Amino acid sequence: MQNNALIFGNNDYTLEIEKNIASDYENIYVFSLGEDGENSFDLSDNWDDLSNRFDINSCIAFCILEDMAENIFLTISLRDSFKDLTILALAQDKESADKLSLAGATRVIPITQTTANVIVEMLEKPIVTEVFHEILYEKSALKIAQIKIGEHTIFDGKYPSDIEWSRDHGIIVISVVHEDMSREFIYSSKAKHHEIKNGDIFVVVGYEQDIKEFEKLIGSRCE
Amino acid sequence: MFKRRVVDFAYFINTSEAYQRKKRFFYNLLENSDYRYKKYFDIFMITLIFVSVVILIREVKSHVNDNLLFFNNYIVSIIFFIEYMLRLWISSSVTKIIINQSEHDVMLGDKFRLSKALKDVIITKFKYILSIKAIIDLLAIIPFFHQLRLLRIFILFRVFKLFRYAKSIQTFTSVVAAKKFEFLTLLIFASIIIFVSSVLIYVMEANNPDSPIDTLFEAVYWSIVTISTVGFGDITPITQEGRVVAMFVIVAGIGVFSFTTSLIVTSFTEKLDEIKDTKVIDDIAKIKEFYLICGYDNVAKEVAKELSKNNKVIILEEDYHKTEMAKKDGFVALNYAPGSIESYKKLRINIETQVKAILCLSHSDVKNVYTALTIRSFNKDVFILSLLINKMNRNKLNFAGVNELFYEKELVGIIAKEFVGQPVAFEAIHALRSNYNGMDVQEILISDRVLESYVTVGDLENKKYRVVLLGVHKKKKSRFFFNPIDSTILEVGDYLLVIGNTQFLKEFTTSLHKKGLKNAK
Repeated sequence: MQNNALIFGNNDYTLEIEKNIASDYENIYVFSLGEDGENSFDLSDNWDDLSNRFDINSCIAFCILEDMAENIFLTISLRDSFKDLTILALAQDKESADKLSLAGATRVIPITQTTANVIVEMLEKPIVTEVFHEILYEKSALKIAQIKIGEHTIFDGKYPSDIEWSRDHGIIVISVVHEDMSREFIYSSKAKHHEIKNGDIFVVVGYEQDIKEFEKLIGSRCE
Repeated sequence: MFKRRVVDFAYFINTSEAYQRKKRFFYNLLENSDYRYKKYFDIFMITLIFVSVVILIREVKSHVNDNLLFFNNYIVSIIFFIEYMLRLWISSSVTKIIINQSEHDVMLGDKFRLSKALKDVIITKFKYILSIKAIIDLLAIIPFFHQLRLLRIFILFRVFKLFRYAKSIQTFTSVVAAKKFEFLTLLIFASIIIFVSSVLIYVMEANNPDSPIDTLFEAVYWSIVTISTVGFGDITPITQEGRVVAMFVIVAGIGVFSFTTSLIVTSFTEKLDEIKDTKVIDDIAKIKEFYLICGYDNVAKEVAKELSKNNKVIILEEDYHKTEMAKKDGFVALNYAPGSIESYKKLRINIETQVKAILCLSHSDVKNVYTALTIRSFNKDVFILSLLINKMNRNKLNFAGVNELFYEKELVGIIAKEFVGQPVAFEAIHALRSNYNGMDVQEILISDRVLESYVTVGDLENKKYRVVLLGVHKKKKSRFFFNPIDSTILEVGDYLLVIGNTQFLKEFTTSLHKKGLKNAK
């Protein structure tokens, strides 16, 4: 877990992000564009100050400048200097989101699309919204986790779709993560031909207790 | 005593449910274009009109069956007469006029003046009788007196009744009526030209024995034929002076003709948007359920795009250019202010039954508050969702009666937390939300039909259809049960939460309903 969160840009989004991630990070630093002082930055591509102050590769960076051109430039500049930095960037629209992905952002939030999707989901699938919200906000004991299959498991050589996960283990397997990190739905036609083997990662939904017991049985959780 | 009884009778009629119901029925049938059976009545009347005209044409040179003549002269006339009387009845309320007069007199401490009330009744009814539409209706009944041969031509007045039933004719009339002043000016101008040229040509030609113009009527006929640019050529001036007059009339005719054409075209262009809107409003009135989006900015555009995949969406936007943009994007949009009650009156929609939810998605809190308050002023129950741009205005929007608020910045904060706090869950849910690899999560309602075949969760056999049953939302307990055991009993109103490939989900949903249907049979 990274200990420092670096927020580039000081605007309305800053406050909300700061408030929400406060419990996950020891230190949160907000950097303003173009101002003089310790917590400021410019787009000159010189990140020496920053790399001297932090172990930058163990930080998470939020690029939230409101000017999209500047935000893209900032992202590309950070990525150029720090290959392993986790960068979360904000985009106003789909077009900017694509550019930010190309610029090297780890995850891009297209604000307009996301807001629209959440509104539509709330109107059209209120129960789905509620359940996902509970899972993500830890209000219920329901969790989504990734579990890596260890060596010599009881499932070795079996097909994932043939196992009664829910009846026998109280969990639901949604998808399989392949070696190349691509995900596949458990019941897609291809999965039928996929035998469980050492090193497979499953994305499962279940109660915290059931997931823990399942982990003991087959392997370890990987976050 | 008599006056007292008249007032009592008026109150009795006015409060009689049976009487009012009948009156309402005839009003809907004759005047309310939203009434579903009106179009059948209109088609019936239009058919009668055309039958009448066909019989009239046939009668000119051939013998027409006596039964048909009887039908045309009596049956059709009687039907039109009944319609005329019904229209006269529903045009105003006699009892209301009497009651109003009585209450007015009581309030002033005077005796009830029946004569004044009756005078008002007669004036009101006569106002209707003298309206153009009522006169046409009356003239259409006249062929009943078919013995007077001349009156038979009045059958043609039945054609004018089409004005009542054909909407396009009404549109044309309203377009022409909008340019009343211009048309009147043109008419006066043309009349003066015709008058002057008729007199001139008569003076120049009438005394010439070779000239075909002998009477003033022929002169007027020649003028009208010439000025209208028709020019039959049956009557032509032969004197030089007459030909000079002809040149003058021809030039004036071109002016009149082009002026008329341009007038009609201009008035149509000006009214085009209005005509289109009227058509859109008529179409909206027929939609069973839709989402109403107020304001068309970036978020509204995306929401409309997503919602329109499975729903009807109507957009209200006061900015003309944004409305045009919405239309270009393929949505039904009207250039109406969402914050004006007048807009909703014009729309003629039933918010309670037709509108699923109202979404205030303008990028201005001021506009969203105004819209929400406007809607709440006439409807307390409809679900309103609004964007919040500045969080200082949260209370104002809540106070305005908004049911759900969306603060974009807060949403970004939540997503950031999801991303850093639960990366696995975030990625999984993000994949499901964005329909990644054709994966989707759906809610399936347990209806009576489904329940006929599927009593417990175990009966669903979701695994056979390759879908994952995440859980059941029980309606009675209003709670979500994750991974329910096979013996969990399903009830009407419960929702299944299923994850799977879109195609598999579709097959699963269809199978639930199909099997129910089979068993029901």
